[in-house]
Amino acid sequence: MGEFDPHNLSEEDFHAEVHSFQFWLEAVEGYLSGTDFGFEPTLTDQTFSARELNFLITTICNYCIAEKTALEASSGMIRFAPDPESAIFLSTQVVDEGRHLEVFVHRLKMLGVIDPWSEIKARANQSLLKFKDRLLELVDQQDWEAAIFAQNVILEAMEFTVFQSQQPTADPITRSILASIVKDERRHMGFGENDLGRKLVQAPHTRRRLDQISKELNPLVLATFTETASELGILHEDRELAISANYLATIKRLGFAV
Amino acid sequence: MNDPLEVIAGRDQRKRYTLGETGFNEVPKKYRKFYRKWSGQNDKLAPNEVLCPVCLVVIRSARELRPGDRVYCMPCMSRLVVAMEDGMLLAKVVY
Repeated sequence: MGEFDPHNLSEEDFHAEVHSFQFWLEAVEGYLSGTDFGFEPTLTDQTFSARELNFLITTICNYCIAEKTALEASSGMIRFAPDPESAIFLSTQVVDEGRHLEVFVHRLKMLGVIDPWSEIKARANQSLLKFKDRLLELVDQQDWEAAIFAQNVILEAMEFTVFQSQQPTADPITRSILASIVKDERRHMGFGENDLGRKLVQAPHTRRRLDQISKELNPLVLATFTETASELGILHEDRELAISANYLATIKRLGFAV
Repeated sequence: MNDPLEVIAGRDQRKRYTLGETGFNEVPKKYRKFYRKWSGQNDKLAPNEVLCPVCLVVIRSARELRPGDRVYCMPCMSRLVVAMEDGMLLAKVVY
């Protein structure tokens, strides 16, 4: 018998393993152990110009809105998860989202924001707020396919691509925070795409309903991308397109119109 | 899809690879050597590697990969099948 190889697992065993709380615990230990509010405690802050600081605070305020949205939605979805494995996976996502919100709020305080929650409200991106309202409506309706699509496919793909795009040019502390969050987002996004992909194979009639939701939410997501690109100071068109490319690729893989 | 039993039975004549740690830390320890970070467009993949299109992590196998092989991306929980397109190996998600 050869050495253990995860690629030889049965599909059933693979899903049971990666959706488990134990898998999550051992995964996050690898990159969060020794960090302090999501970054290496040896890092020190750089000096920002007033303009840079203003952009960074606006960007992080909107990350807080996205994370609080995901926290509220993922915790609400546990109640109507279709199976226990999905419920357990969502419980790990709730922990991740709570951590993300906490580290971003902590980062705002480090940047001199005295009342983070008022600042978040004042700097909120309107497209993102509309998206939040619509996602929470879908959760309230206990519509699993629509909620998983809006949250784990659309919102998580957006966060994953925006955080990845900001990382190379971010200050060292923000970069370190984003690096660990991107690792969490891989699980959330992958769970969403794979769960929804399987549902669409089993029940192709749901595609038309989700296509409508995609058409409704895509403009909000793309408007958020554009505004985020502007906040990050990456205004030229190529960069903006690169930010949304991964999101659009996900939508396309699932067979939705972009 | 290619049969993993072929490998166990010793009928598979593919090149074998001894996988070492890559610094990848997003999965439990026992799985880490099966993945590595992707360095972008200039990152040349070995014959036992494919890129996960969902999360952009490089998936590694202990044997040379061929079209039809199944691999798993544990960081994003995707099941993938290896395919050949334009002379290059790539992975496609199977839902």
